[in-house]
Amino acid sequence: MAKEFLISLLHYFVDITTAVLIAAAVFLTASGQQIESVILWQILLAGFITALPTAVLLCFDPKSVRISMALWVTHFMLIFAITVIMLKMFGWCRITPLSVLLTFLAVVFIYFFTCFVHYLVDRKHTALMNQQLKKRYIQKEKLLKAEQQSEHKSS
Amino acid sequence: MKIIIEPPKNAEEDVVIVRCASPDPQLISMLLSFQTAKTDLTGYIDDRIVRLNYQDVCYFEANENRVFAYCNSEVYEIKYKLYELEEMYTPLDFVRCSKSMIVNMEKIDFLSPLFSGKLEANLKNGEKIIISRQYVHNLKSKLGMQEGE
Repeated sequence: MAKEFLISLLHYFVDITTAVLIAAAVFLTASGQQIESVILWQILLAGFITALPTAVLLCFDPKSVRISMALWVTHFMLIFAITVIMLKMFGWCRITPLSVLLTFLAVVFIYFFTCFVHYLVDRKHTALMNQQLKKRYIQKEKLLKAEQQSEHKSS
Repeated sequence: MKIIIEPPKNAEEDVVIVRCASPDPQLISMLLSFQTAKTDLTGYIDDRIVRLNYQDVCYFEANENRVFAYCNSEVYEIKYKLYELEEMYTPLDFVRCSKSMIVNMEKIDFLSPLFSGKLEANLKNGEKIIISRQYVHNLKSKLGMQEGE
């Protein structure tokens, strides 16, 4: 279980960091700001801090859709709050209604980007798993046929 | 590896012969588990007691301290804990797919991903069940897929 958690944490860290880099690149190009190299470390830290609750969220296995939705909303709000705190802590920009709105939009983008990348990866994995399932069924059918044939011969 | 199934000669007992250069420990452990596995179950429905064949069960689900066996159209209560069923039936094509479920692999039609990061197993009887992310590796290893493949 710990191994699964670490793999999940690593995957989310990579995906979130990539999405944050895209968002930062778009923002910096649009605003024409110059940045210091320290921001790269800050982005890595931001990626890790936001990947942590995401990996923890996936450890929960709620049965009802309502609890599942509540968990996802709580998770989103937590990620948004963490991002706003980091915004202030690292001094990336001043906290104004506009910067909070832009941060909200950036978090929505990062959120969907990460979910979409994971969905694509899962789609590839499920395609492979479906192939294996199909192989199993074909093999089983062959064995059953062979069994029936040999039974027929012996009778 | 070649698999040959042939009927036994007159009134002979069923025999499994493994003919190989060096016996695969996984295969031997699977055969031993199969030999000791309980293949029938007692199911309770209303006031009736029914003998169930494990092959008819699509999945087992634990709900409020009770365990149920879901067959094609009927649901039976089973007097076993989920972890006991997991120990009994994992060698026989059953796999733990979430904290509260064990699914019969033979009943899975196909799998599809969900946006929430979980997988959905579409069963042959039309039902859909969720496979939690933490248990996907169980399914993969049952399907003979290496980790990270």
